[in-house]
Amino acid sequence: MTKRMMAALVALAGLFIALYLTLYKLGVIGQITCSIGSCETVQTSRWATFLGLPVAAWGVGYYLAVLAVTIAGSTDRWADSRGVSLVLLALTGWGALFSAWLTYLELFVIDAICQWCVVSALLSLVLLVLAVLDYRELRLEADPVGGEAA
Amino acid sequence: MSQTRRPKRGFWAALIGIAVVGLGLLAYIATKPKQVREVDLVGDPAQARGYLLGDSAAPLQIIEFADFECPACAQFATLTEPDVRKRLVETGQASYRFYDFPLPIHRNTWAASNAAACADEQGRFWEMHDRLFDSQDQWNGEATGRPKGVFTRLAREVGLDEARFEQCYDENRYQSRIAANRAEADRRRIGSTPTFIIGVRGATAGARVLPGTMGIDEFMRNVNEIRAAAGGGAAPHATPHATPNATPARGVGPTR
Repeated sequence: MTKRMMAALVALAGLFIALYLTLYKLGVIGQITCSIGSCETVQTSRWATFLGLPVAAWGVGYYLAVLAVTIAGSTDRWADSRGVSLVLLALTGWGALFSAWLTYLELFVIDAICQWCVVSALLSLVLLVLAVLDYRELRLEADPVGGEAA
Repeated sequence: MSQTRRPKRGFWAALIGIAVVGLGLLAYIATKPKQVREVDLVGDPAQARGYLLGDSAAPLQIIEFADFECPACAQFATLTEPDVRKRLVETGQASYRFYDFPLPIHRNTWAASNAAACADEQGRFWEMHDRLFDSQDQWNGEATGRPKGVFTRLAREVGLDEARFEQCYDENRYQSRIAANRAEADRRRIGSTPTFIIGVRGATAGARVLPGTMGIDEFMRNVNEIRAAAGGGAAPHATPHATPNATPARGVGPTR
């Protein structure tokens, strides 16, 4: 399985977590009890909204984008595309940075940890690592001598 | 083109597998029925009086245990409760009673209950109730450690005598009343906010505890089922336990 395929699987898992948090934020899922856990504290903080949309909804968009790029990049047509690798690298780099910022807010500003947000942040990190490996792999294939020398 | 980059059957199988499991879990969580307990309305709160809206002799009794700082309570108060009032309370079909259930995780909720009680002293509880939930993000523990300024502004907006309100608020005049409402929640083993208890006056069956916020359709469905379950057994004007608007002694604990 290629790195892009692995990234697609990770992105799909992340998509469901983001969907769950979005539906929770919108009050669609289950009971929103106020007595348990700090997910509620994080989800109801002022930081749970970004540019007028729930942060989790941005997460849905992010994972969908990564999923689309990785699936497209896994087809014969795009399998060797360096452009796909660069787009993936840019996307996942941005995602990891954004997740790092959110984790910082949880730890030092909101003072509460949302377990699903932590899982999502870890998935973002894994996606970035896979994107870097994919990029390196492609570079090595394109220029095996130079790549090895590097 | 590298062979290792060709889409493999295993990849698609894994992708579809994750999709099926994820969708299945989401569908299960979204459609999971809420836990509903049957309860007996006898032993209705007499000492912890809550705040009454509507006719206390109305055939249907709706009791809410809520925390002013709880987002789900605010969601219900702003989205669903207006319809409940319009359809059931204003038409005389139901009485609506609110009990404070301040949770320890919310640092400004007692202060909000205090503000609401002080508004009640001037006959403006429900106006303050609505404004508190509307503006929850301005005074909750995430927004400020000193909510009094916001409460005073709300008091002014709902037409309270500001000086009287502030004096009442600073004295924590109604702490024992709020504590009694909270104790009533404990007595009824309420575990989350908001929680509703709905029943038909005088009926020996059908009353329910409904935890969690809900939309008007779900609320009305429950009401209809409760009415149906109560059947003809209800004696709308014969129950002494539906606390009238009259005020019992302040600070008295709940009936046990």
